Formats: sequence, structure tokens, C-alpha cells
Amino acid sequence: MLLREVEYARPATVEEAIALLSEHEGARALAGGQTLVNVMKARAASPDVLVDLADLDELRQISFSADQSVLEIGAMVTSTELAASSEVEVARPILAEVVSTIADLQVRNRGTVGGNLCVNDPTNHLPPLFVALGATMTIRSTAGERTVAAEDFLLGVYTTAVEEGELLTKVSVPTRKPGTGDAMEGITLGAHGTYVVNAAATVGPDGVRVAIGCVAATPVRATAMEQALAGGDVSEQAVRTAAAGLGASLEPPSDVHASADYRRHLAEVSAVRAVLKAAERAKG
Amino acid sequence: MTAVETEAGTLQKGAAMGQSVPRKEDNRLVQGQGVFVDDVKRHGMGYLHFVRSPYAHAKIGSIDVSSALELPGVYGTLTGDEVAILTDPFFQIAAPPGGHVKDYALAVGKVRYLGEPVVAVVAETRELARDAAELVWVDYEPLAVVVDARRAGDDDAPVLHEEAGGNMSYTGVWEWGDVDAAFAEADHVVTIKELHFDRFNSTPLETDGALVEYNRGTGQWTITTNNQFPGFAAIMMGPAMRVGLDKLRIVTQDIGGGFGNKITSHPQLVTCCLLARKLNRPIQWTEWRTEFHQSMSHGNERWFHDTEVAVKADGTLLGFRSKAIDDAGAYLRYEPLGGVIWAQVAPGMYGWRNLRLEFTQMMTNKAPVSPNRGYSRMQHLWFTERIIDIVAQELGFDPVEIRKKNYVQPEQMPYETPNGCVYDSGDYPRSLDLVLELIGYDRIEERRHDAAARGKLLGFGIGSTLDSGTNNFGQSQLLNPELQFSGNNEVATVKLDIFGEVVVTLGTTPQGQGHETTASQVVADILGCSVDQVHVRAGHDSYWNSNAGFSGTYASQFAVTGLGAAKGAADLLAAEMKLLASMVFQCSPDDIELAEGFARIKGNPEAALPFMALGAIVNANNAGFPVDPPTLNCRYVYRPPFDVPDKERKFGKLTLTYAMQIHGCVLEIDPETGVYEIVDYAAVDDCGVRINPQIVEGQVMGATAHAIGAAIWETFSYDEEGNLLTPNFYDYHVPHALDMPPLKTAAIESPSPFTPLGTKGMGEGGGGGIHCICAAIQDALRAAGKPIVSDSHNPYHRVWELLQHPERSRENVEVRST
Amino acid sequence: MSTTPTTSRTVSIDVNGTTYERDLPASRLLVHFLRDDLDLTGTHVGCDTGSCGACTVHLDGLAVKSCSVLAVQADGASVRTVEGLAGDSGELTALQQSFKDHHGLQCGYCTPGMLMSATALLERNPHPTEHEVKVALQGNLCRCTGYWNIVEAVVAAGKGGGS
Repeated sequence: MLLREVEYARPATVEEAIALLSEHEGARALAGGQTLVNVMKARAASPDVLVDLADLDELRQISFSADQSVLEIGAMVTSTELAASSEVEVARPILAEVVSTIADLQVRNRGTVGGNLCVNDPTNHLPPLFVALGATMTIRSTAGERTVAAEDFLLGVYTTAVEEGELLTKVSVPTRKPGTGDAMEGITLGAHGTYVVNAAATVGPDGVRVAIGCVAATPVRATAMEQALAGGDVSEQAVRTAAAGLGASLEPPSDVHASADYRRHLAEVSAVRAVLKAAERAKG
Repeated sequence: MTAVETEAGTLQKGAAMGQSVPRKEDNRLVQGQGVFVDDVKRHGMGYLHFVRSPYAHAKIGSIDVSSALELPGVYGTLTGDEVAILTDPFFQIAAPPGGHVKDYALAVGKVRYLGEPVVAVVAETRELARDAAELVWVDYEPLAVVVDARRAGDDDAPVLHEEAGGNMSYTGVWEWGDVDAAFAEADHVVTIKELHFDRFNSTPLETDGALVEYNRGTGQWTITTNNQFPGFAAIMMGPAMRVGLDKLRIVTQDIGGGFGNKITSHPQLVTCCLLARKLNRPIQWTEWRTEFHQSMSHGNERWFHDTEVAVKADGTLLGFRSKAIDDAGAYLRYEPLGGVIWAQVAPGMYGWRNLRLEFTQMMTNKAPVSPNRGYSRMQHLWFTERIIDIVAQELGFDPVEIRKKNYVQPEQMPYETPNGCVYDSGDYPRSLDLVLELIGYDRIEERRHDAAARGKLLGFGIGSTLDSGTNNFGQSQLLNPELQFSGNNEVATVKLDIFGEVVVTLGTTPQGQGHETTASQVVADILGCSVDQVHVRAGHDSYWNSNAGFSGTYASQFAVTGLGAAKGAADLLAAEMKLLASMVFQCSPDDIELAEGFARIKGNPEAALPFMALGAIVNANNAGFPVDPPTLNCRYVYRPPFDVPDKERKFGKLTLTYAMQIHGCVLEIDPETGVYEIVDYAAVDDCGVRINPQIVEGQVMGATAHAIGAAIWETFSYDEEGNLLTPNFYDYHVPHALDMPPLKTAAIESPSPFTPLGTKGMGEGGGGGIHCICAAIQDALRAAGKPIVSDSHNPYHRVWELLQHPERSRENVEVRST
Repeated sequence: MSTTPTTSRTVSIDVNGTTYERDLPASRLLVHFLRDDLDLTGTHVGCDTGSCGACTVHLDGLAVKSCSVLAVQADGASVRTVEGLAGDSGELTALQQSFKDHHGLQCGYCTPGMLMSATALLERNPHPTEHEVKVALQGNLCRCTGYWNIVEAVVAAGKGGGS
């Protein structure tokens, strides 16, 4: 419950932040701290240096790309800000809907989009959602910027494509085209609790995308199910048929909350429900 | 005003008693001005952090504290070796061989559960103590682990305490009536192979803690703590520390929840005392949440094996026999009392007369068990409710009708159970009817159809439970005839101060039950003044001379023992005030009444002395009286009327009162996932006369929330190596605001004929929630293969398994009919 | 310099209207700064995983768990604790009074956190529904009351016109 001694810096610009992260081995970016501070309290990790991103206004913006096709969300945007954003409401309301179920208001007031993504705990809300939405992540370093697709960004448990000395600056989410619906379904430990299994889905003119969370180190695309639904029939019959075998294709963990078999089953059910709900919304 | 008949006479519920008077405690608590133990500071205090065992079972080799001591700001350490020299092992309640267990404040030679304190480190700041703890090196030699109490008696099971010869702490056969005859007479015998009550506790939001100061000159410790049973703590600590109990001053003020889980912190308190003396500075200790989960007060986990129930064709239950295995964890602190406490409610709420329970308690490499809200009665009442529902389902009886038929009936009250306990009063059938009315029972089938149309399985369940209160500690002799404990007591003082203020002290240690408020209500009505004129000191202080051996707040007894003591002291004071007034007015004390804050002559209200006048006379103006005036400072010890139970027959009054709760719930199961939601909930309670109805209702609500948590989410689950898989609030999910169902409550009052105020202790009736949720799940799944619910804890994955393989659960049950 | 990492930092934090300048280790949690450095013990610690909300305070007007914020992160910010709710002469807010009226507390340990979360809610939503109250209190655990009376107290305070 008490941190080890740590060094702390609070840069004024993104460039200063990146310089600090590059110069100091074992430096970690401190965003909302809802995960990192608690990890440090448990002494499960004790970075030598914390680089506080609080003053980096550049990372707090929500805006559209020039052609309005992409919504750009700064890494330091909090869940509360995302949920209240009129841009999000217009462009991709599923984001607001999902972050509104993260933990509780206190956590949402501090917790950031970048933090939830970069922690990449298998039970986190945003990784599977961003995979389903086809989001991309922009990473900046002293060498410049690069953009990575969500599935290439999320590499393993607590591990992403952000390397030492780099910083995630924004997440870009395609705005919703007409005839597109999004949904996220799953089972949690209590209302707004930690996910046991989840599935995020989007249904639209470009087809169906489904990402399953909590079943592997990183979100798993249900590619067989997506291909089976490529023809455009998203009736309940078709979706259930397409999902058959999804559970069996997974190797989820067993823990005190669910056995591997139960997770396989819930994954299949969640995928079906997410796709059906997304399809329903696509019509409206 | 209403009159209540009790054995003590007719009590008038007065201007304050019976009203939901606003709580005196609230003003300071809503402003954050409560004083909880971690709020207390002393100059120069050292912060204590425990080095705890990472193994569930291991020998301790060497311990090296030198690196820790070298860190600047570290004040000192304490190890088990020192403890073994400075103290004697804690007194054991168990008879041999269990009684040979050696339990010290720190691990000596061995660790027996993960999280057991091994070394204590004290430093200038919390952070330093934490850092220094990481520099303590302990050599462990891991040993084989036993985590299943059913295996702890096997020949090859690892033995935790060699001195005890094996892992058994207690075993005994409890039998009354003629069980064989009952089974011979039965038309049906229902057999249930295994029932399991899971391990969890109430996780009070504030963890254990203490601030201990040592006075070198007098050899006296002041222990500011949140232990909720100071009487027990002192009795355990004094002999171990080889000091008289007057050297241990225990002080509490505000306590952030107890629920029984703050009874067995005495080992840690001893560690703090030894360090306060060794280091000559105050010692501050606050338990971390993870430490609490790993090491403190898990509730008794209990299996019931080979249960048989004898039933007549008309649904009359004749009796049961079963074998209970109880898991005590690694040390016996309050155990094996759990082995007798259940007998307070041996037949549950039912009239069967032929009962047999073989009770065996085993030790395992898990956190030590100690009382948890509903302590040991909850496990047994769950057992009786489960078997009623299983019998009803298997034999085709209606769960409501079979209960009403077999409940102890109101006209039988007071009712002597087969083992000599006396249920004082109550109307169980009427209470059940109230639950059914609140929940809309007549519409259940309609709701079931409606739910089915939405693809959900709806179930309704009843959970009836007794909240036995005011222990007769003589029941401990049924476990160990050598013990010298019996009866019970609580103390209160009431005095009139020089300026007319009424000052009350209690021996209790409230953790949210509103003792300052309810005690002031009782005292105000007796003295004829307002509750605002009565000042009840917050908390407990053993130097107030207001406590005795059993003082504390536990086991549903305050409304009887604490308020009985307050009433006794107030009655004494009232008599003295009348006597003093009569001396002043030169009349008979019978001519004096106490009303509206005055002592006045009846029929002549002008001749009145305000309380201030009486207080001033006694304290500062007492010349001129031909005889000594009364002191207006009264102390009363309430002693409930008990005998020592019959040890041969295991027979006698084990508790004084029996409050009752009946819970009903409606839930809907999603058959595709096993996820379920409680959609309606009702709880009816009867705790006799309610001094403050709002406080009583608050207790019912809180207990309900605990039950819902235990039924759906809360479990202390261990892996094979003895690692606790739910060591904090992240994995051990407790209910949050959005998790609560709609709740309807109602109350009836069946006064107890045995208590001074007609009250019954209450607060632990929440087991009713666990019972009714189990019943509702089983009811819902009748449409899906009729599985048997045999576990108290039913998270979604367990419900899903019942849906997938109902036949597996049905292998647990067998019906033989003649 | 903000670009040189240091193990401690001089910070300026406004707490309940008073500005405190202190040199603090970066490792110090905001809750311990409030409780141990400023003796504001109304804010409580109930867990070690940021789960229980007993430590809830306002940070620049938003409800946050002070156990999951470093004190140095509050540099230049304003913090409000339960001690900052009642008036200077001890006049309780309508919300505090409502908690008393509706038996919305028993042991009182979760109460400061509950009050801070509920106060933040009422400041932005003066007349919340029962569901909105539950959402606002979802991060505050209580083991005594079962939440029913707490929710009722907040809804009633809303109907009564807020704080």
C-alpha cells in the first residue's frame, strides 16, 4: 500500500516527456494513475522514474481529421471526458457507452484512454473495443511518429508496441459510416465490474468485425465467425451458426472467477449477442 | 405509549424508547470527526509493518533482521523467538488434544498459513517500515500443505501442530430424542451426500489496528484499538503476557464495522505491547486490506455429510442425522466454540425432536477462522433450510406449506428445543405470510410465465433464520468440561453530574449499531428527561470501571445485555434521585416522580428540583444531611439468568433470546449463461421490542447485503498450495450500490419474556439471504432438470454447471420411501 | 526544473481553501498527505487496490480516490475533503443533514467518501434519479447499510434543493 522511493518529473511538452522517457531507463509514463499507482502500491512494479503527463494539453484533445473520416482522441483524454464528448456522441457513441461502464466515477475522472490501452490488462474495456473498431494508435519518439493498427499495437499482457522512450499520443477511430452499428457485450463481476469475458462487435457495409477479450493475452479476432457473416446475413440464425466453434477455438485461462470451459462458452454467447445488437443498431 | 409485558414486569415504551430518535453519533461522523484507530497519533510513535509468511506451511530456519535494522529510521524488530521467551502460549479453549496447540503472537518455529505474521518491524514512517520489512531475510523450508478439511484427517495429511498429534481440534456427537425410532417411523428418508457452506467474511471497511503505549513507571499499557470484544482480548492477553489484566487498558472509540471479524486481533495486540515496551515508544499498527483478507477472521467453512431426513407422508419432519466437518484454519483463536454455538439453533425453526449431528473440526493451512456475522448458527440454519427445500422438492411438497406445518408454532412459545434451549417468542407463520405479501407471492406463477417468455428462468425462495442472542458461555463446557466460563454479563454506569448532566458509560464497543443513541433513549425514559440531556460516552475504556469479563459487542446481545445494564443503572439512579429529593422535601420517596427533567412531588409540580440541583447537592453542597445522601453514581452489572448446561446430555439454555428473520427473493436466471439477477427481495424481522426501529431496520438491511454478497460473489478460495486467490477487493467482489435489488422490509415485535426491556439482540439474521437465494436458484432450475443446490455460494459459473449437468448434482440426493 | 526527475518536490496544494506549501516525497499518496501531514483524518483508507472509495475527495472539482493519486500530482490543484463541507460554524450541508435524517450511515467509515461522491453529483446534477445516484456512488463501498438508505438520503437531498 506504500510506494518505494521514486523519482518524479512533470514535463511541460510532449517533446520534454519523450526526452525524459528516453534518457532514464526504467522510466514510466504516469497518466491517470488508476492502474500504475495501484501496481506500485502493491510493489508489483516499481519504476525508477515517473513522467507525469498531466500538463500535456496536446494529449487532451478530441477532434476530427480534416476529412471528418476519423475521430482523433488524445491519449490523456479521461473516460469522463470521452463520455461527455459531443464529437464522440456524433462520430462513434459506442466509445462513450463502453467507458461509462469502467469501474466507477472516481476511476473514470482520472483514468485515461491511453492508460487503459497501454496497460493492456486482458480484462480491460478498451483493447477489444479498439480492435473491433479498427482503430489505430500514433506513437511518438525522438525519431518521429508512427501509426500502428490496434492488433499490432497490443502485443501481450501489459505489453504494447510502445517501446522505451516512446509515448502514445493519440488513438484514431474511424467515424461511423451510415448503416454501421457497434456493441459490446459480456459478463462482469458485479455491475460495472471487471470483465470475465467480453466481445466487441461492429456490423456495417464493410462487414462484421468481432474481438473477444479476457480469453488470451490480447484481444482475439473471431475471424471464422466474421468470414461466415461476410455475405451480409446477420439474422439470429446466421449469427448463431457463424459463432459455432468459436469457443472451441480459444484457449482461455481458468481462474477463481471462471473455468476455461465457462469462458469458452461465454465468449461464444457474448460474440453472438454483440453481433446481434450491433446489427440491430446498424439498421437504426 | 404502549405497554409491553415482560417477565420483569410491565414496561412502558416511553417518549424515547420505541422512536426512531436521530442518532447522536451522526453529527461527528458526517463531518469526518469520528476517531478511528488510524486517526490517533502520538508523538514519537513507530509504525509497525509485519513480515508475513509467503508459504502456507513451512519450517522457519533462520531469521536475519540486521539489514532492516541498519536502515536509518528503523526503530527495532520482534521475532517469534523473542515472543516465545517473553510470553506463554495463548490459552486454548479446546480440550486435549486440540488444546495442546501452541499459539503465539508471532510464528514460532513454523508458519501454518500464508500471511501469518513472522517478524514485526517498527520504523519512523509507514513507508520506512514497509521498506525495512523487505530487508528482513527469513529462511523457510516448505512443507506439504492441506487445504481441504475433509482430507485433514487422512493418515498422510500434513500435521499443522505436532503437539496436538493431528489436525483435529474437536469432535463430538450431539444427539437428542430418539433418532433411530424417528427413522423407523418415517415414510420417506431423504439422503443428501454432501452440503457445503463456503468460507467468506464480512470485510468491514476499516481493518484491524491499534496504537499501543507503554508506561514504564507503572508497567501499564494503553491499547487504543478497534477490537470488538475487549473482555476476551484481555483474558487472552494477560496470562500470555504474564501480567494482570489491570495492566492492559483497552480503549476504543469509533470502529469502522466489526461483524465479528474484529474479535481475534489479540496476537497482533500482544506484538504491539511487546514492542512498545522493548522500544520505549508508542507503536502504531494498521492492517492492510490484503493482510486482512489473508489472515483475519474467515468464517467457518462447513460440510455436512451423509445427511438423512426422516419425513412422514403428510410432510411432518421427524428428524435428521448428519456429520459436520468444520474447517478452523491454522489456529484456534475463538474456536472450537463454533462446535457448540450452532446448537443454540439445533432444530432451526422447526419442531422436529430427533436430531443427531456428529461434529468434527479440523485445522488446515488457511487463515484462522473466527466469528463472522451469524457465527456458526448461520451455517447450521443454512443446513436446515437447505434440507427443508430439498425434501420439499424431492417429495413434492410446497416449500411454504411444509415450513408452516413444521415451524415451531406461536402457541408453543416459549418453546423448549430437544436440547434444552428455549425459543422465547415469535410468530414464524405470520412472519412468513408477511414476506409472501411483500413479495407478491400470489403472482409468482404469472411472473414465471412472463420471465419464460423473455427467455429467463424465474425462481422464488424462502430463507428463514434465527438470530440467537446473549450467549451463555457455559456452553463452552460442552466442548471442554475443564473450562471455567459460564453465563454472561455487561456493565453500565449512569451518574448525575454537578450541573445536572446525565452521564452514561457502557462496556460495549459499538461498530455502527448506535449504542450512544439507544442507551440514551432507555435512560431518558427512566429518568424522565430528554435524550439530549443524556450523554453517553463514545466507545469503551476499561479504565472507566464499566466492564466485566464478557464486555464487548458481538453475538447479537446489546439490546439485552448492554441496554439491560443501562436500564439497571438508570433504575438505581432514579431510585437515588427520588430518595435525595425526598430528603430535601422531607417526604417519602414514593411521593416523588421524575418527569420533564425534574424530581418533583406527585400532584404538586411546583415542588420540583431540576437535575442540576440534585447533582450540585451531592457533588458540592452535601453538608447538613443527618444520613449520607445517595451518591447519584450508579453501576450495574446485567447478568442474564443462566445455569451451567448439562454436560452429559449436552442440554440446557445456551442463549437467552431468539430474534428471527425471514427473507424471500425472486430471481431470474439467464439459462444461456448462468448469470442471474435478484429482481425482488423482502425481509421480515422480529427482534422483540425495538428501542429504535430505524436502527433495527438498518441492521436488517446491512445483513441482507452481506448475504447477497456471500451468495453471489464473496468467497475465500484457496489453491492447492494454500495461496488465497481472493486476497483483496479486486478479486473478492463485494456488492456495490448498483448490485442491490429493490428491498421491502417489515417488522413485527414479539417481546421476549426473559429480558428487562422485552428486547432481543439482533443484527446477525442475514443468513436468511443466503438461504433464500439458494432456494430461489433451485426453484428456478426445476424447469431445467431439477438440480440440487448444495453449496451456499453460487456464483454464475456454478449455476451454469447446474444448468449443464443437473444430473450430476442429483447424484447427491436419494429418496427411499416405505 | 520540471524536466529533472527528483525524489521529492516542493508543491503547493489548496486544501479546503487553505494553501499548503510542502516538500513531499514523490512516493507519498495524496490520502497520506491529507491524513498524516495535514491531520485531516476524515478521509479514510479502506483497501489497498483503489477499490473501496473510502478515500474519495474532490480534486479540482472532480471526485477521485486519493489513494490512487500521488500528492505531487495535486501540485497547483485544489482539493476538497469532508472537513470542507460543513460551514465554519458547523452548519451541516443539506446532504449531511439528509444522511442523518435517513439513517444513511452506521459505523461512519465510508461516510466521508460517500458524502464527497454525492456532493460532486449534486453540484452537477441537483436533482438526480435513484439510478443516477447509484452510478455516482458505485465507487464507494459500504458494508454496514446495504446502500439503500444512503441512496435514499442523496435522492432526498436532491429533492430538497441540493447543497
